[in-house]
Amino acid sequence: MAQPSSRVARQLAVSQRSRVRWSQAATIAGFLLPAAILYIGLVLLPVVQAIYYSFFCWNGLGPLEQFIGLANYVRILGDSAFRGALGHNLQIVVLSLAFQLPLSLGLALLLRELGRGQAIFRTIFFLPWVLSEVVTGVIWTLVYRPQGGLINALIQAVVPGAPETAFLADPQTVLYALFVVITWKYFGYHMILYIAGLQNIPAEIEEAAAIDGCSRLQTLRYITLPLLGGTIRLSIYLSVLGSLQFFDLIWVMTTGGPVGASDTMATYLYKYGFQRFQLGYGSAVAAILFLICFSFSLVYQRFAMRRDFE
Amino acid sequence: MISHNARSSASPPRRLAPLFQYLAASLVALLVLIPLLASVLNGFKSNADLLLRPFALPQTWVWSNYISVLQSAAFWRQMSNSVLVMLGTAVGVMVLASMPAFVFARLCFRGRELLFNFFTLGLLFPITVAILPLYIMLRQLNLLDSLWGVIVPQVAFGLPGNILILRGFFATIPRELDEAAAIDGCSPVSYYLRILLPLMRPALAAVAVLTMVTSWNNFFLPLLVLNSESLYTLPLGIQQFQGQFGTDWGRVLAFVSIALVPTIVFYLLAERQIVAGLTAGAVKG
Amino acid sequence: MKARGLSLTLLFALFVALLAACGSQPAAPAGQSGAADAPTTAAADAPTTAAELPTPVPIPTEAVASVGTGATRIEWWHINTQEDQRAVWEEMANAFVAQNPDVSIEITVLENEAFKAKLATAMQSGNPPDIFQSWGGGVLKQYGDAGLVQDLSAALQEDGWGASFSQGPLGLYTFDGATYGVPWNAGMVGFWYNTALFEQAGISAPPTTWTEFLQTVQTLKDAGITPIALGEKDKWPGHFYWVYLATRIGGREAFERAYNREGTFADPPFVEAGVRLKELVDLEPFQPGFLGAGYGDHQAVMANGQAAMELMGQWAPGANGGVAEDPEAYEATLGWFPFPTIEGGAGDPSDALGGGDGFAIGKDAPPEAIEFLKFLTSAENQRTLVKAGMAGTPSIVAALDAVESPLLREIFERASQAKYYQLYYDQYLPPAVGQTVNDATQALFAGTATPEEVARMIEESAAFELQP
Repeated sequence: MAQPSSRVARQLAVSQRSRVRWSQAATIAGFLLPAAILYIGLVLLPVVQAIYYSFFCWNGLGPLEQFIGLANYVRILGDSAFRGALGHNLQIVVLSLAFQLPLSLGLALLLRELGRGQAIFRTIFFLPWVLSEVVTGVIWTLVYRPQGGLINALIQAVVPGAPETAFLADPQTVLYALFVVITWKYFGYHMILYIAGLQNIPAEIEEAAAIDGCSRLQTLRYITLPLLGGTIRLSIYLSVLGSLQFFDLIWVMTTGGPVGASDTMATYLYKYGFQRFQLGYGSAVAAILFLICFSFSLVYQRFAMRRDFE
Repeated sequence: MISHNARSSASPPRRLAPLFQYLAASLVALLVLIPLLASVLNGFKSNADLLLRPFALPQTWVWSNYISVLQSAAFWRQMSNSVLVMLGTAVGVMVLASMPAFVFARLCFRGRELLFNFFTLGLLFPITVAILPLYIMLRQLNLLDSLWGVIVPQVAFGLPGNILILRGFFATIPRELDEAAAIDGCSPVSYYLRILLPLMRPALAAVAVLTMVTSWNNFFLPLLVLNSESLYTLPLGIQQFQGQFGTDWGRVLAFVSIALVPTIVFYLLAERQIVAGLTAGAVKG
Repeated sequence: MKARGLSLTLLFALFVALLAACGSQPAAPAGQSGAADAPTTAAADAPTTAAELPTPVPIPTEAVASVGTGATRIEWWHINTQEDQRAVWEEMANAFVAQNPDVSIEITVLENEAFKAKLATAMQSGNPPDIFQSWGGGVLKQYGDAGLVQDLSAALQEDGWGASFSQGPLGLYTFDGATYGVPWNAGMVGFWYNTALFEQAGISAPPTTWTEFLQTVQTLKDAGITPIALGEKDKWPGHFYWVYLATRIGGREAFERAYNREGTFADPPFVEAGVRLKELVDLEPFQPGFLGAGYGDHQAVMANGQAAMELMGQWAPGANGGVAEDPEAYEATLGWFPFPTIEGGAGDPSDALGGGDGFAIGKDAPPEAIEFLKFLTSAENQRTLVKAGMAGTPSIVAALDAVESPLLREIFERASQAKYYQLYYDQYLPPAVGQTVNDATQALFAGTATPEEVARMIEESAAFELQP
């Protein structure tokens, strides 16, 4: 059915080539321009300006005059606190890919299987994402609290007289404790992406596979997941970039502590740029963060996402 | 739904599977709901009760937290400001992100990937660090202390991620449709407007929900842009219960719990669109 | 298809309504930016804008953002978010506008952290508000160095305004002869303790020396009582200990030498401060999980009798009262003693670590803003602040008669009689050094840094920031 029509289309395209080319250029420009103006003016230019600050020793006040070249960058790379923060970011990336995304995908698939009550569960699962970061932080700080906190109460109910635990106060456990909250808060985001992606898979294909004798696991493995590939690759991409820039929840719950044990590059950046008034140095941190994200993006788009658009 | 029934009746040994599925879903639901319920319940507590026993029922039910929020004119004004900002941002993002996404997914031209990558650069940078240049720019545009000063940058920040998401969804629509449209003499504009956009309803709804929630909870940008209290959005309104040396947590949680309701309503409205594919086949025929 | 068309139309209608609603808003700020140059237009604009507003949203009286209708506009940012406190400020603004009808005052009320973030951006963009909250110290000095705030020296000379202040606190706003702001309350840090718990542990009198203090801690522990409440997640509550110890050991001289770069923060007194603090930390005197606890948790622990002591400023009783389950019981068991002395320390026993709230004047503020600030710090208005609980210990000497609590009176007396009145380091030092003090002392509490390392971390930051 596709054969004859595409031949006709090609003929049409040939006869109208020059006209089409012009109108296509106009279409492209018309469709891109509004977004481009907004994006360049309010995202790109400020970012370029901020990168410019990174070559100065500047407290954000008064004129920008003390040019110091790459000195800020040298200082960052020599700072063990920054390397620690980078390490925490990478840990969050790995944990997210290993636990959070599979959980989101699993729940999206599970929801599809549920008959009655599907909508209710879907809504419930999405609720944490609706809650603001600040409130999430407050509630979970209460959950983790040694005095009267939920987890502590549970542990003492199982093991009476167990010592009070303070996961957020222990440099060994703080990052994992935070990761639980991060998962709780953000799995809904990826779940929505997966649900929308699953909508685009025609039911007929999976039904055909079932009729052909595929087990449900086989259908999942050979039909559903490959067809969902684009969405999965997208969700991984967004998750890694989000993990590299992670800020809000950690800032609310621990401000990167204790003693930097939960610092991320973004909390480190905020401490210097906004609390210590070293705006030049903070901008240099942001530029390095940008370079890290950019390298990842380049590699990932080149090798993982390219085929989604060809 | 029909296919689900057909599947389970075709394989009798799997009768137990739904039970496990419900158990798993309920467990997750429980983990999600406990902290949320705690926040609603803690809205009924005095500060000391809340801090000493955060997960017990209120010792005495303090209704005044919720009542004072509901009776406050400031709360409702902040609510309407938040709604305006949220709708403005969502509409702006849906319109302005779907247009480039369409171009990048469905049209072929030289330099396409380069342009696309150019648009996604914004994802690679924490925008807070560029806040000072942005602030100066907004002042020059005379957008400070107006809701537009919040909406316009929010739309701009939302573009890179949502162009990326929407491009992915545009790409899943079968290519044959392009050709069919070309034969029918459909211009790219009307093809986009009349054929693709309706097909993209689930994806657009997903983008709208994600954008709306982000806008609803945004604190930093409105904080910097808005000075007049009459323009405050809800997250700025919470401040009145937080002091230098102490926070009235009961009121904060009551405030937040009520402020959750509209987002949930908006979510439910959008969700019907997201899952439209399912129900469209079964119900509307 | 029909339903979809309808919803799209609805969406569009909403968008148009939004355009209309937002479109009318910028009229107000447009007047604001040009207020100084064209006061008449701003005043003339106001009524027409109000009439044009299509939104039926009522303007409530409880959240008045602007006071008065005068052409000279004063933009005022303060951080007293609590309803009763913001009402006190608003009443004062009303009273001032009544006397000065050509002035109007725009009040923006912000929560502490939000205020700091917003002010930083406004300052960096070179556009400070006319009157704003300040704690003096290094942050204010940076604003002064950049010419973003006005020097009030001349105004303080007139009518005895400067002489009316308690001089130690006023000094926190003075740098190299220029005064960039004035305090509206001031006090000092000391130990607040629970008299009932002390009694229960059999402690008859509060300790006066560090050795006695450590014994007191041990006695409390032996009696099964958590000796000290501490919210070390926020860092500043713990930094008081290190700074006070450094003040007791090295005195004014050691600090000023380090600050003027004749000495360093790695000198023996600062290392010694860490050693002494470690003696305390090793006794494990704090409530469980104190490293993850914020100041809010700290307050709850103290206010509800779960710990015996806290090292905190003059605001503690007022702040804790708000989270106490039984505020009366909390107040009835409240005691205070000054930070213990160190045997053989160079500091004078009267030396005090303190600070408080103040206001500074932005560079573009009209002269009326200074007049308004004078009005706010009049003895009469100071008494009002004392009675409202906003200035437990006032900054104006004449207002002391309004202080009822004997403990607060004692704090006021000690603060004004201190031979050396030192602002908390995290405020006094440049922001980068101040934050390093907080970070480094937290590491000491967590046991991840030695006293020598703490001193060295602070010195490194100081060497970078305090270059002459």
